[in-house]
Amino acid sequence: MEPTYHDSTLNLVNRIVYRIRAPRRGDVVAIRLAGPNVLYVKRIIALPTERVSIIEGIVEVNGAPLIEPYVHSRQRWNYPEVTVGPREYFVMGDNRGMKMGDHDFGRVDASRVLGGLVF
Amino acid sequence: MSRRRQITLAAVLLAGAALWWWRSGSSAEAEVRAVFENFATEFNSTTSDGLGLIARAAHIGESFTPDVVIELGQGSPPIHGRETLMGMASRLQPRTAAFVLELDDVNVDLRDPDHADVTFTALIRRRSGVSGEESIDAREFAAEAVRADRRWRVSRVVAIDTLR
Repeated sequence: MEPTYHDSTLNLVNRIVYRIRAPRRGDVVAIRLAGPNVLYVKRIIALPTERVSIIEGIVEVNGAPLIEPYVHSRQRWNYPEVTVGPREYFVMGDNRGMKMGDHDFGRVDASRVLGGLVF
Repeated sequence: MSRRRQITLAAVLLAGAALWWWRSGSSAEAEVRAVFENFATEFNSTTSDGLGLIARAAHIGESFTPDVVIELGQGSPPIHGRETLMGMASRLQPRTAAFVLELDDVNVDLRDPDHADVTFTALIRRRSGVSGEESIDAREFAAEAVRADRRWRVSRVVAIDTLR
């Protein structure tokens, strides 16, 4: 999540917020792996049932380019269009300056989203 | 025997059985967890001489059944068999010595007294030889463990695609 969040820093996760409202595009969220001790920190790019693709490094949601001021460096990734499931979100990190294969992103089940990052 | 004594005796027997069941379950869970901890310890042990490499590979192999299957996900062909795994552990040691493996969030679910389903997160910490910066990769896995000859071993490991 560079440059928004740096590695090995302490972050606070609000685990209540998504009991009150659904995650929104642009939210930075904590995603559970096998348990609560190791979490991915990613940004929500697309919401349930939306279509996502990446063309020359530009993310498109439902065919329209997504404006992402938080991305400071990006490589020309290309990713074929996928449709986000009804109980899924599409998440990415902010650091797009590496090869696409080195970046973990994609659709995640809503049940894995533990909460939103406060800071 | 009076009715009160019968009830007391039944309650004591029931409590004993429950305690035995709970203790055997939790001890089996601890044994399965120890298999994964031992594997990580052996994986992180470093050695460079030939005999040490073979001994280390043998120790790593002890955590797995002879017919173990390990599926690391897209781009990596499955690893079939303990012998193959030990060979890889021996050959790749110079490369694996460059990083530290941690297994976190190890969850053990006993299916029956001899079979357990396990999930865990593997963390790989790697320090760049050039910049000195540490990078961390995390990956989620599901595994199966079986008990044979009073010993738990891992029979299957599959990488989980948290993000698809």
